[in-house]
Amino acid sequence: MKFAALLVRNFSLLAVQRSEPALGGRPVALVAGEGRRAAVREASPEALRVTPGLAVPLAAARCPGLLLRERDPAAEVEMQRLLLAAAFALSPRVESTAQGCCTVDLQGADPARMEAALHRQALELRQLGVPVRIGAGDTPLLARYAARCAEPVLVVRERATFLGPLPIGFAEPAPQQAAVLEGWGIRTLGGLTALPKAEVGARMGPDGVALWERANGESPAVLRLAEPARTFAATWNYEPPVESVEPLLFKLRRFAERVALELRGAGFVAESLSLSLLLEDETDHHRSFRLPEPGADVDSWLRVLQTHLDTVRLAERVAGVRLVAAPARPEQRQDGLFDTGLADPSSFWENLARLSALVGDDRVGTPVPLDSHAPDAFRLERPHHAVPAPEAPPVHPPRGGALRRFRPAWPARVRCAETGPVALEGAVHGEIRVSLGPRILRGDWWKPGMWAVEIWQVELAGGGLYQLTRNAEGWWIEGVID
Amino acid sequence: MPKPTTIAALRSLVAAWAPAPHARGGEGIATGVPAIDAALGGGLPRGRVTELVSAAPSSGGELVFAALLASTRAARLRIALIDAADGFAPRNHRADLLRHLVWVRPRSMPEALECADVLVRDGNYAVMVLDTRGVPARVLRQQPAGAWHRLRLAAEQNPGAVLVQSAAGLVPAVPWRLVLRAPASLRDLGRTRAERVEGLAVEVERGHAGAGEELAG
Repeated sequence: MKFAALLVRNFSLLAVQRSEPALGGRPVALVAGEGRRAAVREASPEALRVTPGLAVPLAAARCPGLLLRERDPAAEVEMQRLLLAAAFALSPRVESTAQGCCTVDLQGADPARMEAALHRQALELRQLGVPVRIGAGDTPLLARYAARCAEPVLVVRERATFLGPLPIGFAEPAPQQAAVLEGWGIRTLGGLTALPKAEVGARMGPDGVALWERANGESPAVLRLAEPARTFAATWNYEPPVESVEPLLFKLRRFAERVALELRGAGFVAESLSLSLLLEDETDHHRSFRLPEPGADVDSWLRVLQTHLDTVRLAERVAGVRLVAAPARPEQRQDGLFDTGLADPSSFWENLARLSALVGDDRVGTPVPLDSHAPDAFRLERPHHAVPAPEAPPVHPPRGGALRRFRPAWPARVRCAETGPVALEGAVHGEIRVSLGPRILRGDWWKPGMWAVEIWQVELAGGGLYQLTRNAEGWWIEGVID
Repeated sequence: MPKPTTIAALRSLVAAWAPAPHARGGEGIATGVPAIDAALGGGLPRGRVTELVSAAPSSGGELVFAALLASTRAARLRIALIDAADGFAPRNHRADLLRHLVWVRPRSMPEALECADVLVRDGNYAVMVLDTRGVPARVLRQQPAGAWHRLRLAAEQNPGAVLVQSAAGLVPAVPWRLVLRAPASLRDLGRTRAERVEGLAVEVERGHAGAGEELAG
């Protein structure tokens, strides 16, 4: 087993079905040609008694309720990329042989493990709604023949036994060649290869030799290698534009399936997702989602995107959508023996991602005070996957109250005496019974953004402790001391 | 330290050294505030919503949260804070006391309730705190009562405790409502936080007799 081929039958029809949710489970026929020449090119299994080549009126008469569609080049490109992504998950040497067909170079791989991988890949693609057939053999052509017969995976071990009974049509003889072979009574590949190659060449010329070689499954072992995905992105334009979430989510799921497959094939996971909605008025709505736990799980991505889309209200209809995944290497880590881990890690990271989608990436996380004297200087970090053992308590226990901040601080008017503030006016007001201060804080004096504040703690006569600050712009109530 | 000579002794040593990571059900989650833990029979009840009302400014609601942070940190339990008015000040605390905290800063009260709905179903948090202090009363009144009912039902199906901090009784039919009424003075700030926590006085209200009795029983 040196090569494998991934083959999708009715590729164009399937591409249309995958891009239109309403077509699932219904009789659909793909039509080629116009006017009276319009004929069925491919038909779904639900379209009973409709066969390729049938004139459209006849097909419609045979199958009431038949839905007719034309080819969708954009959907075909998208599905071919999905197929390529699946192929790249098997090997880095992949050829995009034709629409709906990829050939993979498996030379050097362990045959037993590779056969298991082929079955896994076929199963995964079928779960994504792509009924792929995978064949494997010693030559690219043999692998493609095997793929045509596979259900869903076929590995050719005995070339002659496999090829012998296959119809001669597999070797694609030209019409004249087919007529000659018919005259000779040859209907199978085995029948042709039973003849000496030189004798066939003497009677049918070089084309006959090429046909004999094709019938014997021989083909050059050189592939025209495709480039693996370097950017993990997908774009779609809606015609007509859409105004509800469902078609967006349907398309985003398709994108996510393909992009996740590309990422996995390249050994990456996504650390963030970027969603752009192109609106009818040519403006766009853009949002990035940092994934708390980088991964390539489509369902998790979709839940994050849906959580955000459910909150979005747009003035215009959506004419296009673009999804970009930022790749990162999967994190390797080893927890400490006595660290407290997560009861349900997937739910933890997924819920964090949903919260980020809801309130914004910069508003969810574990707070870390910054090494600065600036008031309210902190940053939010990605939460720890394990809670480490606590540090030793400080030698000097903390004193004072805990400030509860007003963000932004409330402007205030403060009446002062020689001893300090004596009355407060603003959203909080009253006579000040006692005050503590001032405590002067300055920082960043070596930079243009130098700051300086004067801090007072005051107790109002009516009850309540507040922290006041004074800077160049005036007085502010910074928060309540609790 | 003497070496354990039996398996049982070794187990108890390990249990003391490394607390069980995901203890479920049974006992409540200690807040570290003696008055509250005593009133609730050991701490915040798991699978229940408890409301803590700071009826006066500077009455100690933030001090209770600081004690809860320290207590859950010592037990290595995760805690989530949904800060509806974005008032939490991380610089009040040592960095080590925040390592088990997930702080969510919604921009509005409906967002806060939506976040609570997500987090209350996440089995990874021992305590989820929804802090509504600082949210205008008008905005709080506009929230559908069904949201609180939904939160209560979700809490009952999960192992964590839910604490709602408010400035006035907010959650209908809450099993336990604790009220802090006494405002602190500037003189109190000279004491250590531990001393202040020891001295906190809490009034207990049973908002929903049936649920309260069920818990008490």
